[in-house]
Amino acid sequence: MSLHTEPKKECSISPGEGRCEMSANLEIFRNVSAFSGIPIDRLKLLAYLSKRVNFKAGEFVFHHGDLDDKAYLILSGKVQVIREFPDHSILLHEFKEGDFFGGLVLLSDIKRLFSIKALTDLECLTISRKSFQKVLMQFPEIALKLLNPTIKRMVQMEERLLQAQSDQCIYG
Amino acid sequence: MEPSPITKKGLFSWILTRYRGLQLLLLLLIVSTILFRVLPLELQKRIINQAIAYKKMDILFLYCGLYLGAVVLAGVLKYVINLLQSYIGQRILKELRERIYDHILTLPISFFRRTPPGMVIASLTSELSAIGEFLGGALATPLINIFTLLTFAGYLFYLHPLLAILSFSIYPVEIIIIPFLQRRYNRLNRDRIDVTRSMSNVIGEAIAGIHEIHGNAGYRLENRKLGRFNEALFTIRNQMNTLKFLIKFLNNFFQSLGPFILFLLGGYLTLQGRFDLGALVAFLSAYEKLYDPWKELMDYYQDLQDSHVRYHRIMDYFDIQPEFLLAPPDGRDPLRLEGDIRIQDMSFIIDGEIRVLDQVSLALRSGEQLGLVGFSGSGKSTLAMVIGQLYSYTTGHVYLDGQELKTLSKQDISFNIGYIAQYPFIFDGSIEENLLYACESLVPGDGGSAVPLPGRDEIVKVLELVGLSDDILRIGLNTVLSPDGTEDFTQRVIRMRSTFFQRWGSELADSVNFFDLNRFQEHISLGENIAFGHAHVDEYQLEALPGSRFFREFLLESDLLDPLLGLGEEIAVQTIGLLKDLQDDPYFFELSPISQAEYEEYQEIVSHLTKAKSVGLKQRELDALLRLALRFTPAVHTMAALPENLERDIVKARRRFMEKMLQHDPGAISFYRPTDYVFTQSILDNILFGRTKADRPQAIEKVREKVEELLRQENLTAETLEIGLKFQVGSKGDRLSGGQKQKIAIARALLKNPRILILDEATASLDNASQARIQQLFSSELKGKCTLISVVHRLELVRDFDLIAVMRAGKIVEMGQYQDLMDRKGLFYELAHGA
Repeated sequence: MSLHTEPKKECSISPGEGRCEMSANLEIFRNVSAFSGIPIDRLKLLAYLSKRVNFKAGEFVFHHGDLDDKAYLILSGKVQVIREFPDHSILLHEFKEGDFFGGLVLLSDIKRLFSIKALTDLECLTISRKSFQKVLMQFPEIALKLLNPTIKRMVQMEERLLQAQSDQCIYG
Repeated sequence: MEPSPITKKGLFSWILTRYRGLQLLLLLLIVSTILFRVLPLELQKRIINQAIAYKKMDILFLYCGLYLGAVVLAGVLKYVINLLQSYIGQRILKELRERIYDHILTLPISFFRRTPPGMVIASLTSELSAIGEFLGGALATPLINIFTLLTFAGYLFYLHPLLAILSFSIYPVEIIIIPFLQRRYNRLNRDRIDVTRSMSNVIGEAIAGIHEIHGNAGYRLENRKLGRFNEALFTIRNQMNTLKFLIKFLNNFFQSLGPFILFLLGGYLTLQGRFDLGALVAFLSAYEKLYDPWKELMDYYQDLQDSHVRYHRIMDYFDIQPEFLLAPPDGRDPLRLEGDIRIQDMSFIIDGEIRVLDQVSLALRSGEQLGLVGFSGSGKSTLAMVIGQLYSYTTGHVYLDGQELKTLSKQDISFNIGYIAQYPFIFDGSIEENLLYACESLVPGDGGSAVPLPGRDEIVKVLELVGLSDDILRIGLNTVLSPDGTEDFTQRVIRMRSTFFQRWGSELADSVNFFDLNRFQEHISLGENIAFGHAHVDEYQLEALPGSRFFREFLLESDLLDPLLGLGEEIAVQTIGLLKDLQDDPYFFELSPISQAEYEEYQEIVSHLTKAKSVGLKQRELDALLRLALRFTPAVHTMAALPENLERDIVKARRRFMEKMLQHDPGAISFYRPTDYVFTQSILDNILFGRTKADRPQAIEKVREKVEELLRQENLTAETLEIGLKFQVGSKGDRLSGGQKQKIAIARALLKNPRILILDEATASLDNASQARIQQLFSSELKGKCTLISVVHRLELVRDFDLIAVMRAGKIVEMGQYQDLMDRKGLFYELAHGA
């Protein structure tokens, strides 16, 4: 290995000597507040099981009602959170680099409550429900550490939704 | 219907009524064989008394010849008898098994709720087989032995009556003691069957719930469950063996008392000159010959008891009658109903008091649509199942076209009702077989065809209606074809390949890695990247490459061996560290080039590595590291990084490998060339001639759309669909998604054009688009054509229905149309807003 010191192009986030994608993912997870309480060797397992995905600006990550089973961490780019209706859509929120969304599906087999659309070219790190639950089965203590920020996020979303509804009422 | 149910038949009724001709032949053979058993004894006596005593050589030769002939004939006859006997036994067993299975399948669903599958399986296989062994000889064995016994006894009597009577005196004692022991043995045997059944249930349950066991690492717990029964079985078996061998011992003991009496008395008489020596020898031989038939009779007696116990244990268990007639009475044709349903004060009561359905009344005209809603446990599914004749109601009436549902046969129902369960069952076999399951069931057993099976066009139309064609096309595209008989198809695929690339190659450049001799492929392994083809010879298969001398030398020449070994080392160290303590779950190995089974092997290599930095590694271990590096697929395996130099060097080496290989062993590898079909890859990959990038989830969809467009243009859709229909779905349809299974179940029911369609939350696991499609189907295509009963959870699905029944605790509490019920602000309103 010592002869080949050129960095691998996927390890763009933290270019180190021949750093592999898993280590790069681990580095990213360590900087996400949602994961901050999880011991590093557990986080490494999540890093190993997570996958990178890319979307072009304008593409949908998933649609409202889909059975998509992944949680997303934005590495670069911005997305819109949208609720789609047959004749119109409501913009609920935006997520940017470093944000973590869709975590609810990690815990239960639910349909998406909203749609996510890439506003710019987008790179995300994803973890699937199955991977997450497999890790949880091995190390149940990390469940609480992850549940907490997810529930806070849900409360925020609901808050915003209620706000949006009351705004609609005011403006007719 | 059968005049007397199969479960009431006695064990011997099978033997006495089947294959009488063969059994008669058997009997004749048995009688004749006895002659050849006695003859040698008489010859023995004459050889000693006449030939040897009077030194007559010619008589000696004659008797010896006759002796040989008799012995050979007796042997041959015995052989034929055995064959015939086991043939009859197996024939009866085959029929018995089919008949019992037929009967079991028709038993009420409630029976199966309390009967574990392991129990039915054990009954039909091992328990029944043991009976089959017995059945063949059930008549022949006692007959042959009783005849033999009597014949020998008669011969003894003819030789010396007094001696004969004395030596027979032991048998009555045996006849009293042995049955007494046998009865205790039978009781234990019954216990053994019960324990064995319980044990198979434990095993069956463990296998069905293996996920939960793995998830909780409940191995010890499960073993303890088995252990209880295993212990009981051990005890029972021991007691049974004690009795069995005690019976054997008594048998042998009494048997050897005989010669004792004979020697004493016969010797005395011979010494006195009142009995000649030849006769004594014959007497002794004959007496010994008594032993075999007697022993066989004893064994037969034990087998008989054992089989009786097994047989009645099985029959008693399944001694229940089907709830409904299976076929229309008086041989009339199955009814063709209009689809009117009227239910009057119908209740379904279980365990004598629980009213699962309570005084339900409703009426539905042909072609109307009924929605059943309510909280879970309200009885809505049960009501649907009662109408589908899956349960029988206790009181009240259900009329289909004015006919009481209870009096209709299963065939009447299957011709008119399509029932789709919430979790439909998909059988092992192809998609097509599953689609045709309902239709094939309508074809009567005698081969006459009352309903023609739906043709290809009809199947395709229904697939389109339920939104299954896309799935099946997709499955077809993912099929790996075998080279034989697909020449024409694969040639057309190759033509599509170039069209595809010309048309969309540049557009898809950032989503797809097209195969290119001069480009590294991140989505295939390094080994495949070097060989860039697929091997026909074992030596060059990916897994075998590290052991191939030709390949190793090539790597050495190309300066690839050291970097690859270094990479293999890195992968091994990283992976072993990562998956430490996780070896139990195969899931964690899915993204690793080390398989679960190989974990320990690589763990050992890694421990050697840390000790003696690759210097001290054995050749076998170096091969293992090289194998890891060759398996390494950059887009999948993230625990190690691939230096860019290596990427470049591999691409450089690829062309040289191809040249060398073509010289060394042309034809051993099919290289990935734009003009050749790759038989190790799917049809889709062959059209694409590349791989979609793993980090572009939308790319697969985009590629599919374009491929499907091209398929339509090239008129290959039907052929691809055909390939998809042949897809083997695996046990319980495990290789399909939940949504695909449900769509297959809907298509399966629609294909038989039922007058009444019952859906028990049949669209619950579909995504929104598919659900909408099915909804659309009901509100347009099927509207008015068939009576629809739909149990739903989401109320908006029944918005346009003619009638909605809201259920609570087994009763219909509200009934009406959507808006009426909303306006009423009752339970329906509550369901709509609370849920």
